[in-house]
Amino acid sequence: MVIDITKTRVLMDLKHGRPLVGCRFDSSGRYLFASSEDDFIVRFDLLTREKVTLAGHSSWVRGMAFVAKPTLVPAASIPSLAILGGLGATRKPTPFVLLSGDYHGNLLWWRGEEDQPKPFRTVAAHAGWIRAVAVSPDRAAVATCGNDQLVKLWSAADGRPLATLEGHTSHVYNLAFHPSGTRLVSADLKGNIKDWDLATGKLVRELDAKVFHKYDSGFGADIGGIRGIAFNAAGTQLACIGITNVSNAFAGVGNPLVVLFDLADGKPKLLKPKDAFQGTGWGVNFLPDGTVVGAGGGGQGRIWFWNPADAANTHTVTVPTNARDMALHPDGSTLAIAGANGNCLIYSMNQAPAVPPKK
Amino acid sequence: MNICDYACGTADHTVNRRLFLGGGAAGLAGFAGMTTPAAARELKSVQKRMLVIFLSGGVSQLETWDPKPNTDTGGPFRAIPTSVPGIHMSELLPEAAKRMHLLTLVRGINTKEDEHGRGATIMLTGRRTEPGLVYPHVGAVAAKLLTDKDAELPGHIQITPRGGGGFNKEDAAFLGPKFASVTLGDGKPPADLLRPATLTTDAEREAFRRKLNDRFAKSRRSAQTEAYTESYEQAAKVVARADAFDASREDPKAADRYGRHDFGRHMLLARRLLEQGVTFVKVSHTNYDTHHENFDFHIEQLGEFDRPFAMLLDDLKERGMLESTLVVVMSEFGRTPRINDRYGRDHWSKAWSVAMAGCGLKAGAAVGKTNANGTAVTDREVNGGHLFHTYFRALGMDPTKNFYPAGRPVPIADPKAAAIHEILA
Amino acid sequence: MGSEPPLRERIDRQIAAGLPNYDAIAAPIANDSEFLRRVTLDLTGRIPSAADARAFLADSSADKRTKLVDALLASPEYARRMQEIFDVLLMDRRRDSKVPRAEWEKFLRTSFAANKPYDELVRDILSSDGADPKTRPAAKFFLDRDLEPTIVTRDISRLFLGRNLQCAQCHDHPLVDDYKQEHYYGIQAFFNRAFLFPKADDPKAVIAEKADGEVNFISVFDPKKAQKTTPPAVPGWKPIGDPKLEKGKEYKVPPKKDVKPVPAYSRLAQLATAVTADENIAFRRTAANRFWAIMMGRGLVQPLDFDHSANPASHPALFEMLAEEFEEKNYDVKGLLREIAMSKTYQRSSEPTAAGKDLAEDRYATAILKPLSPEQLGYATMQATGLTDVYRTELAKKYTEEALHAKLASNLGPFRSLYGTRAGEPEEGFASTLDQTLFVKHGGHIRNLIAPRTGSLVDRAAKLAEPSRVAEELYLTVYTRLPSDEERRDIEDALRGSANRTAVLGDIVWAMLASAEFRFNH
Repeated sequence: MVIDITKTRVLMDLKHGRPLVGCRFDSSGRYLFASSEDDFIVRFDLLTREKVTLAGHSSWVRGMAFVAKPTLVPAASIPSLAILGGLGATRKPTPFVLLSGDYHGNLLWWRGEEDQPKPFRTVAAHAGWIRAVAVSPDRAAVATCGNDQLVKLWSAADGRPLATLEGHTSHVYNLAFHPSGTRLVSADLKGNIKDWDLATGKLVRELDAKVFHKYDSGFGADIGGIRGIAFNAAGTQLACIGITNVSNAFAGVGNPLVVLFDLADGKPKLLKPKDAFQGTGWGVNFLPDGTVVGAGGGGQGRIWFWNPADAANTHTVTVPTNARDMALHPDGSTLAIAGANGNCLIYSMNQAPAVPPKK
Repeated sequence: MNICDYACGTADHTVNRRLFLGGGAAGLAGFAGMTTPAAARELKSVQKRMLVIFLSGGVSQLETWDPKPNTDTGGPFRAIPTSVPGIHMSELLPEAAKRMHLLTLVRGINTKEDEHGRGATIMLTGRRTEPGLVYPHVGAVAAKLLTDKDAELPGHIQITPRGGGGFNKEDAAFLGPKFASVTLGDGKPPADLLRPATLTTDAEREAFRRKLNDRFAKSRRSAQTEAYTESYEQAAKVVARADAFDASREDPKAADRYGRHDFGRHMLLARRLLEQGVTFVKVSHTNYDTHHENFDFHIEQLGEFDRPFAMLLDDLKERGMLESTLVVVMSEFGRTPRINDRYGRDHWSKAWSVAMAGCGLKAGAAVGKTNANGTAVTDREVNGGHLFHTYFRALGMDPTKNFYPAGRPVPIADPKAAAIHEILA
Repeated sequence: MGSEPPLRERIDRQIAAGLPNYDAIAAPIANDSEFLRRVTLDLTGRIPSAADARAFLADSSADKRTKLVDALLASPEYARRMQEIFDVLLMDRRRDSKVPRAEWEKFLRTSFAANKPYDELVRDILSSDGADPKTRPAAKFFLDRDLEPTIVTRDISRLFLGRNLQCAQCHDHPLVDDYKQEHYYGIQAFFNRAFLFPKADDPKAVIAEKADGEVNFISVFDPKKAQKTTPPAVPGWKPIGDPKLEKGKEYKVPPKKDVKPVPAYSRLAQLATAVTADENIAFRRTAANRFWAIMMGRGLVQPLDFDHSANPASHPALFEMLAEEFEEKNYDVKGLLREIAMSKTYQRSSEPTAAGKDLAEDRYATAILKPLSPEQLGYATMQATGLTDVYRTELAKKYTEEALHAKLASNLGPFRSLYGTRAGEPEEGFASTLDQTLFVKHGGHIRNLIAPRTGSLVDRAAKLAEPSRVAEELYLTVYTRLPSDEERRDIEDALRGSANRTAVLGDIVWAMLASAEFRFNH
């Protein structure tokens, strides 16, 4: 397939009705899971357009991740959503596990493909909010982080605690496994990024993303944090997104920013929106060609594309609502936005003209 | 401008000004009648004090005293049980929750004013803003009504998060500058309180000043010249007690308990000032104006507020001071039940809460109710006027009595409102 | 009229008639020092320099007090003093919003310097709509109040009618039978059609007016809640009805978006004339009373804005006479002040006789001790410590009152902010607050003023060898009088054997500045 970011357009507008907090595509690409301020997770089946509500959390969920065998649905075999008029996944659901972490600190296990998934395991993982959940490339470990300033590792198979990584001195906002599976990075409110060796549990190095943090002395409070994080497929770059240049924390006056680290030398590169947009960057990903895509919002939302080589903001898409999270489809050419207006917007970046999906 | 309002024409209001100036206004004897030493002594023995903790910007009632978890407006936090069965608070106040049996919650506040300045006016003066008329702040009223005539320290002190100190003559309005607040910016002592280093002693020049005044007073004196010369003696007393303003003299263990941050230090200073006999202390904690990221910010701000607040309650209780100290936690207003698209909550005065403690208020009680998702008051709606009445009833005063600025009767509290009697002892 | 004795004598006669055996009880006439300090403070807001004091004390001419009063009234400092008094009176230390302070002050200052009749000054203030740059400064009274109806009504009634009608807004005044709710709205009706154009928060806003609109009011005491209205009216006088205008001809310039309307008939234009009209005796009564109070320390009617039948003047005949005379003499301010200053009543000592000790101050048997205003205190402190003289010397040939004032002005700031009352509120009674006392006690400002510099008081005194001459220099400079023998000895004792003469002198000057004798005009 050929991606043309300038062709990015809305493919589907999936309504939930209550403001959304987070969104993720499952590994097969058939489902989009979106979490909401009503404490539910909704599963949109992109094939059948069926919407199922997952009840189990009693607070908001922002961290979601999946344990699935990729061999069952090889990524390469998933044709473009647009080309197939909706979806390339098989009609027969492939079993997988959804992990979701909420703001009461609970980590829930679900069988994501069931007709009506119910949590089959609940782990009281953190004191206070869980802000992010990630699954290791080998699918053996689950990592979580939260407001207790801790990073924790769990057995994906049985929920056993594997390790606790201590060292952050503020709320831990995000984490991501390195594609090699040997390292984990975690990032906090103050813009400190810690790079952990998973074999030893030791801190290997720290990256400075303090540009994402400010103590607003006028209000007497901290603003910032790494709101989205992603490695590129080769594992040579790490992208983080958040808010910077904050002049008024309590009104959210500041600019979205992506900091792109070259992992070889740890040097940061700042990717800024071309327009003078005010708001927070909430999600970041790498497209297969290395293009960095970020999404965020203030009054309304934006999707920005950057060429990582020269940090140029090559294209920008206006989103009609604050984009509170962004997910990249396994096909690499489809994006989802979790909207504050209660809708999930699915965007296609495929060069081919959009064909409305058939029912 | 309704200074006389509907209460006009009642017996209290027709008191002739000359009669009052002549001391004949019976209505004032209750608080201005400290004319006999016996009365003054009695008052001193039960000296009442007031502490206001002002959460600037408008704290969210939903993240504090009136949580609505798992509703469309509730936000992500839990409601946790408190030391009083049946009453819940937001999980952001774990320490306060353990002390609910000392607290009184007023959950049905509707102040109908969503602008910061005017909201603050309502909460601090018990009245809405009126052009051409400025009412004294609660601290000035408390200082005026409660401060012993012989008190050495100012009766009205506010501790602000930062910035300069100074004397704010605005907030006493017609009560006069004597009752205006002394501001301790970041808890620092008032300007010029401490003798400058270059002035090793001022005993000699003070003696000379007294000599000059005595000589002048032999042939010329008036109430004003007396007040002027006396102000130096009073200032000397305050200077001599400059330690009262210095929280660093408190036990370091107390400082640890309160928390090693600005608000912890300011609350410890408040305790010290109250113990030293200051009538009214207001501590401001900034800031709660969370139009953006309401939840993250409330975690941080309330995380700072909760413990020192609880420690101060414990200390007042332990020292037997809570019975005579009225504690009020207030804001300009609350925050919208609706969560905006930036995870913020906006200004909201229609249904919010205040927490109080001490001074004989019914402890462990919650008065007033809001509906299931907190968008409206459903029971016992009150406004700033009711609260103002309640404060002064609790402090043992009759807020329906009048002040007489320039001879005109002005009721202490808004005559359109009355005290919340259910929570009064 | 021609055979009538001068006003000063008639004042004295009326005052004497206000107390049995007044002549025996009243304090003697103040000595030259006392008089010089008092009248200089009252008419120019300053204390005399030591040189002025020496010269006046040495002058043996019989008419030296007359000459002094005339000289003070002719001085630029007089205009400055009046500017400061009337600025505070009219603007209540508000922050500037639409008319810059400098222009307003200049308007007041030049008016008083030219001895503009007081009624004319008030008409200037009440008739300027701010559109003409030449008369815009006079519109500060309205513009900087944003034409806020309750405040403007209150302040017109307070300042120009001597009656505070604030309590008559919602009903007839509960305590004062004379103050009716219709009075309040009668005043408001003069400007209820006026508004700020283009909008209230525009710093360049001017006053515009519509051709229609009535004031409506209901008494909260009226069980029927009957709605009433009134055309413009000065309390107690016939309302001024609106002329009948042909339909369609209500406007010279009709209202349109972004266009300032001009009505064919302006209610506001009637205000200045109606307030200052001969028939409105309230105006001259309160005007005369205010000037009396400036000089005497209290009004014949007190409070100054509480003129009504149940609150009679302390000397009703004198009050009436003063008001009539002021009006007849075409509101000659300097003339009125001169006569008051030359009266025995004004010139009495502030030291009471044994019999006069416990008399009420409204008998005027003894001069009233008046606390210095923030400005007087500032100027007096600068003069006493020598700063004024230092600046005067620096200016040398370039000296003008304006040039000197420009140099002193920044030093006045702390006095105004610490001793002035709340912005936007009328001056109230005397209070000595902790911040003021600490400012004097420990503040850097006072310390710096006292610190020796060439030509300053401590510097001058330190150079004098003879303790008695040191005492003279100190007392003449700070107190405008020579020290007594006892006071000379005090200074001698203090200086004897002191290692640091300058430090001791600094302490003495500080004590004098902090003393009641300095803080009050006596």
